[in-house]
Amino acid sequence: MIDHTASIKDRQNLTPWLLLLPLAAYLLIFFFVPLAQVAIMSVTEPQTGLGNYERVLTSPLYQKVFLNTFTTALLVTVCCLLVGYPLAYLMAHTTKKRAMLILMLITMSFWTSFLVRTYSWMVLLGRNGPVSWVFLQLGWDEAPQMLFTRFASTLAMVHILAPYMIMNIYSVMQKIDPSLVRSAESMGARGLSLFRHIYLPLTAPGIANGSVLVFVICLGFYVTPVLLGSPREQMAAGLIGRQIEEFLAFGLGSAMAIALLVITLIILAIYHRRFGLDKLYG
Amino acid sequence: MNQTMKIIGLFVVLFIVAPLVIVVPMSLSTSPSLQFPPPGYWLGYYQQYFQDPSWLRPTWNSVVIAMANTVLTLLLVVPATFALVRHKFWGKGMANIMMMMPLAVPHIVMAIGYYNFFGQMGIVFTKTGVVLAHTCLSVPITFLVLSANLKGFDQTLERAARSLGATPMQTFRHVTLPILRPGLLVSALFAFIQSFDETVVAIFISGRDAETLPRKMFDSIRQEADPVIAVISSLLFLIVLAALLAPFATRGIKSLGRGVASPTNTRS
Repeated sequence: MIDHTASIKDRQNLTPWLLLLPLAAYLLIFFFVPLAQVAIMSVTEPQTGLGNYERVLTSPLYQKVFLNTFTTALLVTVCCLLVGYPLAYLMAHTTKKRAMLILMLITMSFWTSFLVRTYSWMVLLGRNGPVSWVFLQLGWDEAPQMLFTRFASTLAMVHILAPYMIMNIYSVMQKIDPSLVRSAESMGARGLSLFRHIYLPLTAPGIANGSVLVFVICLGFYVTPVLLGSPREQMAAGLIGRQIEEFLAFGLGSAMAIALLVITLIILAIYHRRFGLDKLYG
Repeated sequence: MNQTMKIIGLFVVLFIVAPLVIVVPMSLSTSPSLQFPPPGYWLGYYQQYFQDPSWLRPTWNSVVIAMANTVLTLLLVVPATFALVRHKFWGKGMANIMMMMPLAVPHIVMAIGYYNFFGQMGIVFTKTGVVLAHTCLSVPITFLVLSANLKGFDQTLERAARSLGATPMQTFRHVTLPILRPGLLVSALFAFIQSFDETVVAIFISGRDAETLPRKMFDSIRQEADPVIAVISSLLFLIVLAALLAPFATRGIKSLGRGVASPTNTRS
């Protein structure tokens, strides 16, 4: 009897490992090995040493690109917050039916491919596009150049990433107990002070989740900045792509890629220690 | 504050929706240069898309790759999700992080990695390579959807089946699987879309032979817009719209057939 239960327990201890093994082996070979090779290339191509990192860290060109990436990511995050917060508020404070409708529209945007949404902005901001047309109708002789500028890529990235922010804030805002707000109001809190002392602290977790997610995705964004942005103000991912495609500089590209990866992982690790990473995408 | 927030909110809805909708009239335009307002409307570019092998081949490649990716991802992720949700074991935290890693690493980093790794293996620019890469990238989202479903699973049902004499295999086939089916379908859908939409890795490793639709679109957009892109964008957008509206439509038809919507069915 005792032996029997012990054997079941042993088997139970082995089961999770057996279930996990295929995936773990797969990821080891097809994810972690290629990733490790990028790290290796960054210190062996074209010759062994830290030369690539030295160039990435000291050359003004790369410094500028990384700075540009950071400021763009920050700008996009702030804009997503400014855009997402009022919308989440609207959803949390309207009828259930309307909230569902808005949620569906956001889901629609979320599920439409990055590339399609990028292309939509190309259509909107193009030389003969609707926005230019509005400028002409308003009496401008010539619409300003919008495509292939930092403005275009930032705007499109805000549009593409805003759903992440909205969903995160909305999920928190929806759970706020209305009696908390009412009791604050009954004690005289109004307008801005109600917002600052009640609403903002209660929605802070959603803001933190959304911001980290948007910022991190934006840091590594390739497609939209490459297609819509100014070639003179590249972001890190775009330059990494060019190193590989045009210059075949695998060492330099890898060093930049590893730098980008390390920065991303540091942000996620800080977030993980503070809030727990499992909440980020859930 | 209340009112201003709501008004801004309404504008944001417009900001989110308008860019998605604009591609549809543009795809029907007779002008090849994205001119607004369109000088005239026709279906010529749709016809062009459905007749042009240089667009149909990448579309087909994408479908095949996404399907293979979905099957492979589910085969790997389903057992692993059972292990992580149902069992306590040493190293579970690490296993969790391992499964989420593909979501944390920027795709451009993996693009270099795969270009180099598959180059050594001789499968760069093949469908096999793209499927193997996409499967890694599909793991986190599939796992998230599936584990959320599995956590809500009432295990007493399985215990009941076992106590009534079902073998573990029978219990799995007749109890676990049917209950988990919706979750499996949704995670399969996510895996499919993840692969079908994936652009960055595909740009670098799909080459000419295994060219996926996003890669072809990216290249054509970069080389100065082919009007067919507006057609594909509209089609992709309309597929998403149809998928989102489908549950409402079927519910509407069902309730029409029954005359009244039964309250028990509103949960679906």
